[in-house]
Amino acid sequence: MELGPRVHQQDGQGKAPEPQAAPSDASVSLAHEISVLWGEYLDGREVGADDDFFALGGNSLIGIKIIDRMLRDYGVELSVRDFYVAQTPARVAELIAQGRPRT
Amino acid sequence: MRLTPGTGKGIDLGLVDLFDLDLYTSGDPHAVWDLMRESAPLHHQVLPDGREFWSVTRYDDVCRVLGDHRDFTSERGTVVTHLGVDDVAAGRLMTSTDPPRHTQVRRAIGARLTARAVAPWEDRIRQAVARFLEPALDGGPFDLAERALLLPALVTGPILGIPERDWEELVQLTAMVTAPSDPHFRHGSEAATLAISHHELVTYVTEWVSRRRAAGGEDGSLLDHLMNVRAGDAPLTDEEIALDGYSILLGANVTTPHTVSGTVHALVERPEQFQKAQADPSLVPNLVEEGLRWTSAACNFMRYAVHDTEIAGGTVPARGAVVAWIGSANRDDSQFADPHTFDITRRAAKRHVAFGFGPHFCIGGPLARLTLRVFFEELLQRFASIELDGEPQHLRSFFIAGMTHLPIVAQKRQTP
Repeated sequence: MELGPRVHQQDGQGKAPEPQAAPSDASVSLAHEISVLWGEYLDGREVGADDDFFALGGNSLIGIKIIDRMLRDYGVELSVRDFYVAQTPARVAELIAQGRPRT
Repeated sequence: MRLTPGTGKGIDLGLVDLFDLDLYTSGDPHAVWDLMRESAPLHHQVLPDGREFWSVTRYDDVCRVLGDHRDFTSERGTVVTHLGVDDVAAGRLMTSTDPPRHTQVRRAIGARLTARAVAPWEDRIRQAVARFLEPALDGGPFDLAERALLLPALVTGPILGIPERDWEELVQLTAMVTAPSDPHFRHGSEAATLAISHHELVTYVTEWVSRRRAAGGEDGSLLDHLMNVRAGDAPLTDEEIALDGYSILLGANVTTPHTVSGTVHALVERPEQFQKAQADPSLVPNLVEEGLRWTSAACNFMRYAVHDTEIAGGTVPARGAVVAWIGSANRDDSQFADPHTFDITRRAAKRHVAFGFGPHFCIGGPLARLTLRVFFEELLQRFASIELDGEPQHLRSFFIAGMTHLPIVAQKRQTP
């Protein structure tokens, strides 16, 4: 059985990586939303988009709640490994953007 | 980590860094602990990031720190990798809970893990051990340390109620908890590795429990037992089940393999001890105790001082972290004559504290003892001799003393 949720990657494997675009307004505001959301689980403290989850006092029990909340709010099931390696709201926002169904 | 110390010349206790992972991968911690027991029985270290801890290394002091919850609490965490960060699971995870709650939960869960309760599993364990040893019988190279990581899967998997297909990943996750900096197990930063492994293990148990509930009935497994025990007149909460299930998985996986590898390594280095055990199988139970003492796979546990507390000729201030070095206590010559000699006939071997001491004494100890006895009975019966087939490699951890590689070749025994 699968031990943890896996990210639902949209881009197929083997494709050449697309050039990285500069952060758009949309991704900046998503990173901000996620920072605010993290704050709720981190004793209501102020969280910046580039703050480190662990430096903020994050731990796995908080991570479980946040990943669960991301699924409810954004419909994206984040991979546990990607989430903790990403470690900042900005980078988690990228994961969410990648994982969202494309319209 | 290296189990036979060198001379220890030139060690300066003021400069020693007990959190230096190189000390455990390629250094000589026993030489350091020898000196600490002798001249700094209460040792204080401040890490570059400002965190600090006190260390006790003598047998009596280690027992007191581990066993006396009134002075040294478990409720802020017991694993050194989390030094300075209070345990988020305090009071709910059994190992991070003091009496009286600890006593209630411990009694309830422990009822299924006493020597008497685990005895009926002996035949099943013997079959699993036979299967485990089978591939080494052809005399080809066999990496015992690598393979032993899966031994608890074969042995305790069925007892816990976990299907074999899940074990490889669970073993990987539990190894990440114990050695988050070892390149074999690291995933991103050390903090990320710890969080990933905790997260996935707790999630695994949680999902196991919900599947079990959906299926209904009982399956007689240990995890199932966690779902049904009553501690202090109430069942465990779902969170307690998840956390204690995690803790049991961890305990089963991360120590037994290293005790096996460390003890076999000691026997390989001392063929006369190997032959002695082979000539007299009644020595096996004591060989197991000496192997536990010698390897001390759980190298230390931590407590926090409740108030200013005098110990080992000094004072630990209130809220100070104290690391009880089990590996050192098991080489204290006040208890063990010639402590750095591996001797399977040692009388006092069983006095070791490899399973800890006091209320938090390893709950799986009886099962580990049974498994190790069966393992060495079967090993000695099958193999005439064992030789090294390459350099052993030590686990990069200051929490678990273990090996990642122990390449051996074995000669099959002709006349069992």
